[in-house]
Amino acid sequence: MLPAGSAASVFALDIAAHTGPWRNRHPAEKALLALGLLVCAVALPTWPGALLSGGAAAVLLAAARVPPVVVLRAARVPLLFVATSTVPLLVSMPSPARLAIDPAGLPVAAQTAGRSVAALTCLLLFTATTPLSDVLPRLHRLGIPSAVTEVAALTYRMLFLLVESVRAVRQAQAARLGFRTWRTAYRSLAGQAAAVFVRALHRARRLEEGLAVRGYTGSLAVQVAAHRVSAPFVAATMMLLGAIVTTSTGLVSPW
Amino acid sequence: MHIAEGYLPPEQAAAWFVVSAPFVVHGSRALVRQIRTDPDSKLLLGAAGAFTFALSALKIPSVTGSSSHPTGTGLGAVLFRPPVMSVLGSIVLLFQALLLAHGGLSTLGANIFSMAIVGPWVAYGSYTMVRRAGGGLGPAVFAAAALGSLATYGVTVAQLALAFPDPASGIAGALAKFGGIFAVTQIPLAISEGLLTVLVVRLLSRTSRDDLRRLGLLRPAAEVRA
Repeated sequence: MLPAGSAASVFALDIAAHTGPWRNRHPAEKALLALGLLVCAVALPTWPGALLSGGAAAVLLAAARVPPVVVLRAARVPLLFVATSTVPLLVSMPSPARLAIDPAGLPVAAQTAGRSVAALTCLLLFTATTPLSDVLPRLHRLGIPSAVTEVAALTYRMLFLLVESVRAVRQAQAARLGFRTWRTAYRSLAGQAAAVFVRALHRARRLEEGLAVRGYTGSLAVQVAAHRVSAPFVAATMMLLGAIVTTSTGLVSPW
Repeated sequence: MHIAEGYLPPEQAAAWFVVSAPFVVHGSRALVRQIRTDPDSKLLLGAAGAFTFALSALKIPSVTGSSSHPTGTGLGAVLFRPPVMSVLGSIVLLFQALLLAHGGLSTLGANIFSMAIVGPWVAYGSYTMVRRAGGGLGPAVFAAAALGSLATYGVTVAQLALAFPDPASGIAGALAKFGGIFAVTQIPLAISEGLLTVLVVRLLSRTSRDDLRRLGLLRPAAEVRA
C-alpha cells in the first residue's frame, strides 16, 4: 500500500476500492451495477432517470462504506468543469459583440448538469469499489488485444512509483526554495518531468533484465484472484435497473 | 481539459466513440506489430504510459493564480509518435477516469479524440514542420507542445459547441462562448506547457542522450542546440 501523503491521496479512490467491504466481489457484478446505473443516467430522460440513477448510486456508495471525503475530493475537478461549462448555456449571443442572459437556457443547463452529476456519482460508485488491478486482466474478454491490456497493466504497475517520485522530487525542490520565483518554479518542474522520464526508462530496463533472466518469451500472464459471481447480487441489480427504466419511461411517456 | 462524465448528450457521446475508434484500432495494430517484432518494447511502452500519466501530476503555476497540469500530448507525440500515443493516450485517459474521476467513461470517446488523437497529431505535425524548415530542437518542441495543447483545447470547445449550439447564433456563437470561458486558463497553459517542454527536452538532451537517440529525437552523433 502507498504511504500516507499526497501520492496516496491522488489514488484515494483505488485505495478505497482495495480496502472496502466490496473488495472481494466479482468486478463484473460491480460493473453491471455501477455502469448499468451510468447508462441509465446518461440514456434515460434526465428527469427522473438521472435523479433515480444518481440517487441509487449515492445510497450504494454509503452502503459500500466509501468515505464521503474521498467521494467529495474526487468530485471537485469534474464538478468545477460542470459548473464552468454550464455558464455558457445560461447566456445567448444574439450578435458577435453582445451577450444576454437567456432564461430559456435554464432547463438545458439544469438537465445537462443533473445528468453529469448523476453519471459522475455512478462512475465514483464503480471506481471506489472496484480496484483497477481486478479490471485490467479481464479486459481482453471484451476483445481488446492482450498486448494492449498488458501494456495497460505495466502502466498501472509503474504509475504509483512515478507519481510518488514526482512528489518526492517536488518536496526536495521545495525544501531548497525551488518554487521561490517563476523562473525557479519552471526549472524545478522541468526537473520533475525529466526525473520521471529517466526513472520510467530505468524501471523498464530493470524489468526487461529481470524478465530476461527468468526466460521471458513475451507473455506477462499474472495470477488473477478468482471471485464467484453472486446470483442474488446480480438479481437485485437487474431488479433495480429494471425499476429505474420502468419508472423513468413510464413517467415520461404520457407527456 | 477533460469533458466530465455524462456531460455530452448520449448520441454525441456515442458518435465520438465511432470517430475515435479507427485511430485507436490503427494504433493498437501498430503497437501489437511492434511488440510481436520486439517483445521487450512492451516494457518501454508501459513505462511511456506511466510517464504520460505522471506528467499530469505536475502542477504548472497559472497566471490566474491557480495551478493546472500539462496534457503531456506534445512531449508524448514527439517521443513516442502519434499512432502509439493514440493507444497510450487512451489508456491514460481510461486510468484518469477510473483512478481520479477526471473525464469519464461515457465521454471517453470525445476525450480520446481531442487528447489522444488530434493533440498528438497536431503536435507531431508542428514538430516535423519546424524541423524540416530548419528550426532547432527547442523551437520545434515548443511548437509541438504549445500547438498540441491548443489543438486539444480547440477540439474540446468544438465538441461542446456541437453539443450545445447557441439558440440565437448557432454553433458559431457557442464556439465563441465556450472558447471565451476556457481561454482564460487554456491559452496561458498552452504557452506554459510549451516553455516547460523545452526545458524538459533541454535537460534530457544533457542527461539522457542515449534514450533520446533510441527514441529518434536526436540523431546519432548530432550536435544539439536546444
